Amino acid sequence: MSKVVKAKYTADAVDGFTPRTAMEEAARCLLCIDAPCSKGCPAGTDPGKFIRSIRFRNVKGAAETIRENNVLGGSCARVCPYDRLCEEYCSRCGIDKPIEIGKLQRFAVEQEKAHKMKILKAPAKKKAAKVACIGSGPASLACAAKLAQEGYQVTIFEAAEKAGGVLTYGITPARLPQHVVDFDIKAVKDLGVKFVFDTKVGEDITVEELKKSGFSAIFVGAGLWEAKVPEIPGNDLKGVTNAIDFLKSARDSKGSFDPGKRVIVIGGGDVAMDCATTAKLLGAENVMIYYRRTLEEAPANMAEIQYATSLGVTITTNFAPKEILGNGNVEFAVFKGRDGASEAKVAADTVVFAIGQAPEDMTKIAPVKVTDKGAIAANAKGKTNVVGLFAAGDIVNGGKTVVEAVAAGKEAAAEIISYLEKKEGVK
Amino acid sequence: MAVKKDLSIDYLGVKCENPFFLSSSPVGGNYDMVRKAYEAGWGGVFFKTVGIFVADECSPRFDQTNKEGLPWLGFKNMEQISDKPTEKNFEFMRRLKEDYPEKIMVATIMGSNEQEWKDLAKMCEQAGADLIEGNFSCPQMTSHAMGSDVGSTPELVKLYSQAVSSTTKIPFIAKMTPNVTNMVLPARAALEGGAAGVSAINTVKSITNIDFENMTAMPVVNGKSSISGYSGAAVKPIALRFIAQMLQDEIVGKAPISGIGGIETWRDAVEFLLLGCRNLQVTTSIMQYGYRIVEDMISGVSHFMDERGYDKLDDFIGLALGNIIPAEELNRDFKILPQFDHKKCIGCGRCYVSCYDAAHQAIDWDEKKRRPNLNEECVGCHLCLNVCPVQGCITPGELTWKEGRKPVEIALKHNYE
Repeated sequence: MSKVVKAKYTADAVDGFTPRTAMEEAARCLLCIDAPCSKGCPAGTDPGKFIRSIRFRNVKGAAETIRENNVLGGSCARVCPYDRLCEEYCSRCGIDKPIEIGKLQRFAVEQEKAHKMKILKAPAKKKAAKVACIGSGPASLACAAKLAQEGYQVTIFEAAEKAGGVLTYGITPARLPQHVVDFDIKAVKDLGVKFVFDTKVGEDITVEELKKSGFSAIFVGAGLWEAKVPEIPGNDLKGVTNAIDFLKSARDSKGSFDPGKRVIVIGGGDVAMDCATTAKLLGAENVMIYYRRTLEEAPANMAEIQYATSLGVTITTNFAPKEILGNGNVEFAVFKGRDGASEAKVAADTVVFAIGQAPEDMTKIAPVKVTDKGAIAANAKGKTNVVGLFAAGDIVNGGKTVVEAVAAGKEAAAEIISYLEKKEGVK
Repeated sequence: MAVKKDLSIDYLGVKCENPFFLSSSPVGGNYDMVRKAYEAGWGGVFFKTVGIFVADECSPRFDQTNKEGLPWLGFKNMEQISDKPTEKNFEFMRRLKEDYPEKIMVATIMGSNEQEWKDLAKMCEQAGADLIEGNFSCPQMTSHAMGSDVGSTPELVKLYSQAVSSTTKIPFIAKMTPNVTNMVLPARAALEGGAAGVSAINTVKSITNIDFENMTAMPVVNGKSSISGYSGAAVKPIALRFIAQMLQDEIVGKAPISGIGGIETWRDAVEFLLLGCRNLQVTTSIMQYGYRIVEDMISGVSHFMDERGYDKLDDFIGLALGNIIPAEELNRDFKILPQFDHKKCIGCGRCYVSCYDAAHQAIDWDEKKRRPNLNEECVGCHLCLNVCPVQGCITPGELTWKEGRKPVEIALKHNYE
């Protein structure tokens, strides 16, 4: 009998540290010179420094380091693939196992909240220039925060009714509770960044109108919100859905959503794992992940794969969806083996496609150059072919991690600042 | 925007940007080291002790104590004063003061007779030192005319303090040895001899470990070893005790004290300040971690002040001293019973084991539920609270008064980390 984890949809997947256990973990840190873990963080959160502060009983200092370097430090602490980033670089791996960096970061941010710290400050004297950020996901939030700290007036335009983008709508709350996202967003709001909701730039308001109303630079951090569903027979049956809709419905329902008894999730990324764990936590009896390639080729973070299997989710690899069968409602999903010979016909009430997301039509926003996949063609600093229009995050890189979006958003903010400083009359 | 407070302080008439100084040791032994320390944020340096005597060192010369996998509880060294030529050391100091005028240069010196003390004091003056510290306390000198043997002889402390203070106007600090029963006596002697203040403590004479391979103490030098100085976190309680006793003395208490002994974190620093120290010195934790530890000291003390609304160190220096009273003056009319949070309890039973084997058998162990329950035998010693591994599981609970004693308002500690 395998011991399978039983948990509530809204309960934390992992318990945090107490001050005492955080100290025990920080005491394992080797305090390396030129800390490799710090080099392993795309957003420059500097774990080497904040762990040292925890070790020297300066938790508030640790919180300052995190928040100043990474405005989404709370969310990153929950969803970063540490095993591929900071923790993989940890020198302690050479002795036994890496320091639990993400969990220490979570602890420091929890302390920041408990002590009601207000770390980031915007200058009282605002610069004349106004910047519009499109989308309120990680890239935009990081970009907006950096600009606001420099005294620029920033407004974020969000198509949905709540801020956070993928953080709010695309991840299971067991991994990333909404209060953690909200606390990060509050840090951005406290800098004076304005939020306009239910407003899709390119539809409800145009870039031209934004420019007319005084915005001298535009940042696009729109993310990827077009669900990919393969062109196979039966994909329109009732009970067939995509990851975006599935996760959003679950999150909006706060746990009262019925995922169905037998749920098949198709895909091999973190989003697929989130769909599967969501289904399981919401009471599905049998949750099965099917993935077209091997586990080794799967983009998902190993920790998320392990969390899914710990809940009793099964993962079948090397099977790609061929067709969905049913009579109005889904009854079966049929898979074809990678070997060209095997086949599987699996009964299901719900089939969730989590095979990636695509950009919406960005040319509706502005005449930007897009790649063949529809992503905005911007350079590493977020510059696009349209003067004064910048972009970063998933909409440029085709969908990577939250921390990489934060890094790209920060980078773009620096580019926007140098653009605005050069622009005549804007200081 | 990191919280930054004004940590500047007047110490013996010298304005220091903060109270964090390197103590006289290997951590401040040449130009480059001190330069790096200054750049990390240290306010000043007690430069590695200079004498006319140039040390000839043994190898290896360090050892450490540990407990349950935690290294460096304490640290033993068999190093003496500087092994560099006297002129070279003063040259380092002169250049450092020239290049970093804002940083405070304390020249630490050690002579073996009156004339040497006078000569060294002159050299300090020529090098432009802000302050002079007299090392009366190194426990591993190869000559008995120097070091802690001097510091435990008040007459010599007075004589040599006089030698320095009659030679120069630069304020003189006498560094005390803890290898005495009463530090007040040598401290008073130093002040009588013209010292402006004292620093304490130097290292505690020790044997850290016995090596079974060579049947000697550690570290092993050609199959032999020596008793020598112990420092680091383990000696902090000893340091705080000596400092409190000196500060509570009517004569020594009027002189500014530089606190030394096991300072690693901002909290340690604040503890020394709360007793009344006006300057702090650090070596062992720098040996373990490097100069960078000062960053969290500065940040941590700033947050401590920010939380409590203090604007300067003087707002809280010495606040704890008056609350350390003789044992006979403590209120012994009550006991505070511990309370057990059965929800937080993980059922390890450590409280029960310790209470049964080392206290008053005041805990009954519920074997079925694996939970402790307090019985009538409890005397309120709080041994259980001190062994419990779970934060906030055993906490101070009901306060009861002994038969016939008069209840009064009692100040309690509520939060244990």
